[in-house]
Amino acid sequence: MNSNFIGVKTPRKDALAKVTGREKYAYDIYLPGMLYARVLKSPYPHARVKKIDVSRAVEMGAIVITFKDVPDVMFNPRLISTPDTTYKDWRVLTDNPRYIGEPIAAVAAESEELAQRALESIEVEYEVLEPVLDPIEAMEEGKPKIHEKIMLGNREIVVERNIACRLEIQEGDVEEAFRNSDLIIERTFKTNKCYHNQLEPKVAVVNPEPDGGLTIWCTTQSIHNTRLLISEIFSIPVSRINVKRLPIGGSFGSSIQTNIVVPIAVALALKARRPVRLAYTKEEDMYEHSSFQMIFKFKIGVRKDGKLTGGYMENIMDIGAHQIQAYPLLGTCAGWWVSLYKLQAVKYVGVAVYTNKIPACAYRGYGNPQVTWAVETIMDEIAEILNIDPIELRLKNYVGEGDIFWGQGPTVKSIIKSCGVEEILRKGAELIGWKNRPRPGEQKGRFRRGVGMARGYHTSSAGSPIPGQVIDYTGAILKVNEDGSVDYITAMVDQGGGTLEAHAKIIAEELCIPLEKVNIVQADTQTTIYDVCTHASRGVYAGGGAALNAAKQVKKKLLELAARVLDAYPHTLKIRYDKEKKQGVIYVEGADGREITIGELATLARVKNWGTIAAVETYRPPACPPHFTGYFVEVLVDTETGIVKPTRVVIGADVGRVINPDLAEGQLHGGFLMGWSRATIEDLKYSRETGDIECRGFITDYKMPTVMETPTEIQTFFVETFEPTGPFGAKGLGEGAQNPAIAAIANAIYNAIGVRFYELPITPEKILEKLKEKEKIELKIVEGV
Amino acid sequence: MIKIKFNLNGRSVETEVKPSTTLLDLLRYQLRITSVKRGCEVGECGACTVLLDGKPVNSCLILAARVDGRNIVTVEGLLKDSKLHPIQEAFIEEFAVQCGYCTPGVILTAKALLDINPNPTIAEIKDALSGNLCRCGAYHQIINAILKASEKIKTRT
Amino acid sequence: MSQNKNINLGYINLFNTHIIPVKFNYHAPQTLEEALNLLNKLKDKARVIAGGTDLIVDMKLRRKEPEHVVSLNKIRELDYITVDSLGVKIGAIVKLRKIEKEKIIRERFPALYEALKSMASIQVRNMGTMVGNICNASPAADTAPPLLIYNATLTAKSLNNERKIPIEEFFKAPGKTALKEDELVTEIFIPYPPQDSHSTFLKITRVGMDLSKVSIAVLTKFNGSIIEDIRIALGAVAPTPLRIRRAEEFLKNKPLTEENLKIVQEIVAKEIKPITDVRSTEWYRREVAKVLVKDALMKCLEEEGGR
Repeated sequence: MNSNFIGVKTPRKDALAKVTGREKYAYDIYLPGMLYARVLKSPYPHARVKKIDVSRAVEMGAIVITFKDVPDVMFNPRLISTPDTTYKDWRVLTDNPRYIGEPIAAVAAESEELAQRALESIEVEYEVLEPVLDPIEAMEEGKPKIHEKIMLGNREIVVERNIACRLEIQEGDVEEAFRNSDLIIERTFKTNKCYHNQLEPKVAVVNPEPDGGLTIWCTTQSIHNTRLLISEIFSIPVSRINVKRLPIGGSFGSSIQTNIVVPIAVALALKARRPVRLAYTKEEDMYEHSSFQMIFKFKIGVRKDGKLTGGYMENIMDIGAHQIQAYPLLGTCAGWWVSLYKLQAVKYVGVAVYTNKIPACAYRGYGNPQVTWAVETIMDEIAEILNIDPIELRLKNYVGEGDIFWGQGPTVKSIIKSCGVEEILRKGAELIGWKNRPRPGEQKGRFRRGVGMARGYHTSSAGSPIPGQVIDYTGAILKVNEDGSVDYITAMVDQGGGTLEAHAKIIAEELCIPLEKVNIVQADTQTTIYDVCTHASRGVYAGGGAALNAAKQVKKKLLELAARVLDAYPHTLKIRYDKEKKQGVIYVEGADGREITIGELATLARVKNWGTIAAVETYRPPACPPHFTGYFVEVLVDTETGIVKPTRVVIGADVGRVINPDLAEGQLHGGFLMGWSRATIEDLKYSRETGDIECRGFITDYKMPTVMETPTEIQTFFVETFEPTGPFGAKGLGEGAQNPAIAAIANAIYNAIGVRFYELPITPEKILEKLKEKEKIELKIVEGV
Repeated sequence: MIKIKFNLNGRSVETEVKPSTTLLDLLRYQLRITSVKRGCEVGECGACTVLLDGKPVNSCLILAARVDGRNIVTVEGLLKDSKLHPIQEAFIEEFAVQCGYCTPGVILTAKALLDINPNPTIAEIKDALSGNLCRCGAYHQIINAILKASEKIKTRT
Repeated sequence: MSQNKNINLGYINLFNTHIIPVKFNYHAPQTLEEALNLLNKLKDKARVIAGGTDLIVDMKLRRKEPEHVVSLNKIRELDYITVDSLGVKIGAIVKLRKIEKEKIIRERFPALYEALKSMASIQVRNMGTMVGNICNASPAADTAPPLLIYNATLTAKSLNNERKIPIEEFFKAPGKTALKEDELVTEIFIPYPPQDSHSTFLKITRVGMDLSKVSIAVLTKFNGSIIEDIRIALGAVAPTPLRIRRAEEFLKNKPLTEENLKIVQEIVAKEIKPITDVRSTEWYRREVAKVLVKDALMKCLEEEGGR
């Protein structure tokens, strides 16, 4: 397809502000007369506040709020599920802290120093309660109750055995499927709790307006949901709250929900009647959000020819002290499983369990990297047992074109209409040298090479033809300025991947105007129409869909006006991008000279009083098409230290039509590195003695990859397909870019040393321990002979 | 309060600081230089990197009182006649910018490297960047941008 | 359910890395004498700041709350690297990065050079000093094992006294040194290693430029196939960085055979007292300490072969 901008290398618009340091993040907002806030956090994993004395802080001149001063409203900070499926157990501040770090009180003062001193002057008397840190133990009878009563929608429900919510799914007869299997494989997997470690800690700046309203600058992936939540908690009309859209210093899911700093800062600002800024330190940030920890039990049946039959999956999720999106995640985890490979019968039991830990939230992939790790490990094991090439086994069973795809759990489904899986796997295999990979466990010597692969996907949005339990729609406003440039207004947040950049290109392509004439407007909730959130890899697909439709509306109006000037019928007019003029030109085909540039037309529209050409588009994505990826990873294992290094990486992706190839490539690179980190480094371990995270919030002891961990060789390629429901055929990428990484790395480690790991992360300590065990066993066998 | 005088991006600054004021605080709160980012504030992430007498340092770990008489450069100081520095150009061209939060710090580290080593190898670039974390994982693009900037600087001088 | 009542602010509410939540007086003496006078007067109320990379973090995290901070950075007389026929002298405020860039360090003290190159980020190396790294007395201080094998000596000065402390007698416990409260380490002297000796430094970390899980420095001098001089020091495997004298004694005047290597590994494993912490486990540290001993010795042997 010929295009002027789609698929063409163009520098991103926001890069200029970013390289010159002019970009303003929430952290960079300073208001005159602003107060600085600090939060008093629970030092106990489970306690009750018996008494709290803030008098000294008040004497110091600080504004102080405790759990007594905030609205008695139970809420869920994430507003993406439908209200009837939203579990609420949060309060702005609590007298019943359920994890170390839970906010109890907050202060605001003229300086950070004064706020800190005021905070330290608060005296709290706690009744210390017994904590529960293990999800399996938490479900036992007689264990301390973390929550008694919570809300599901507007209904109060009683929590039993610390079970936050559950979901069971059954399709077909699983027992029958197992009976028809030649091989049944059963495995248990345990994932790690990970911290997002985005560079910008969470922050909120709140300015109380004279009319009782609020202006808010904060780290968020959804300005509209932030506004809705603040309205819900503080009973302020939505129209009086304005949330600014800002760039965000990374997020990876940690601001899908409204971060707790926002309602706390709001409560302080309302009391102080002055602007308040609450910025978390890195350490506090680590106590604010992290990923879910999951224990999977899988039972998968397969026939001798490699055809999968049926499967059972149990998913016990440690959700920490509060629900953010436990229930929808139970659904998506089932979906990620059943949409990888075809199974005639499936049974799924998902249980989300409260523990006295940091509340868990989405983390790039929303359970998909973890499920894919488990499933792709099992696929590798099946291939080895049945002596089938792992790639062929996958191609025999994968869910592809024409199949049903679960984009966001059992209630959000659509039919797959574009799929590049086979080409990804074939080409990736060739590039990595799949045929020459070592045989598992065959190598001797200290350093062993391993090659592993895994495939995966992620949804692009949570759209579907019918409404499900997930809200997904977005909007775009487009107006043509008097010189023919356009202003593009959207509520969608760019997490850094270049989402809005893609929208600008889509608009430029449709209107045949140069990219520099598309202005991405600084926006906020009062000037934009609703967008649910930048999550579920929906930025390009859903947001781009809205932008395209808005551009189509504008184009139609442009042609109508041009028809007046050119004396032709609107529907016969054509539009082209004139590279020399750097302008869109509307013309009559075959009639030489009968043409007008969009700039001229826009100017004329003003002079002639024809009015402004503009469009408002509210857009529901019609589907949730998966974008597919395949990972091929080569590692080198030092068998004496257990240290693993990535030496070569090949990543293939089908993202439909590629809008911005360089930015898309950047997502794949970043995806690998984050996957590497989650597979081999990161672990937010809790100490049973203290009930605290072992690293105590210190980033010096919560490591992430540095530039030193980047593989020497990383190769990416795109298998372009055309997604009929996507803007110019495009799908998403952000999460699929990472999802199979952990699995491919784990499979590569197995290939090198012949040992499988069923617990993440796969650290040098664990590798060495397993190798020593294996050595001992092998030694015994030799001695036995 | 301690009186200090130092050079910031080519101009002289005289101000007063408390003993406990960090250079990061001085730049951001007192002087509103927000390109110097608040990240971890314990010297691990490099988002607050500035050049102190031409060398990259973590401004979160320096007492403001100690920069008396010294030379500080932030990313604002890289523009010449409001023209981008070749490193800035290269970062745009090579897509080395994602969320952008690490970017000013990374660019300053790159500048310090290229100032003393105009032809760095990839290994030397990696060495230089080890104190600048990028969670978006754009290291590969950042390395390419620095290689390109090195070319640009050479052809221009 | 326990009923014990508690009035407790908790450590979690005390640290604030946005600011330095400690009130202190700042002193920036221009001369060493001024500094020693201050220390003599202030004693344990004062903390000395050389590079500040550790102290500032400790203050932000409320691990240290000094009433006075004495900055050394204006004392030009402490900013020197001098080379003479005996070795190298490094002043207290010389930055790690400057030492690393010094030709003599790279050529004559390769173990120290490798340690400097691998520690922390360039930013931190541009701020931090070697004297600071040593005085902080972290068991994992990367410059400690090389200084141990090179038999470095520290000069400690107080207002009325000056003494030399061999590095091996300097570390007492994590964060504790032989230094008295009014004393200042003004210089590290590193004598040249024996002619034709080889030395190397290795470490194992979680990611690039990280604190060590285990670190090692080894020095060897061969006479043919016989080891004439041998020094082994490890970091992060005991409350202090330490020389493994028993291993050295065993290897002295012996060839580096596979069998001897194994015995040395076992001696090292026995001599060290690693712990399980957030960075690694006791078991792993012991295992890889053995590997590092072998790797470091083999590297020295290779160099000897290639000489």
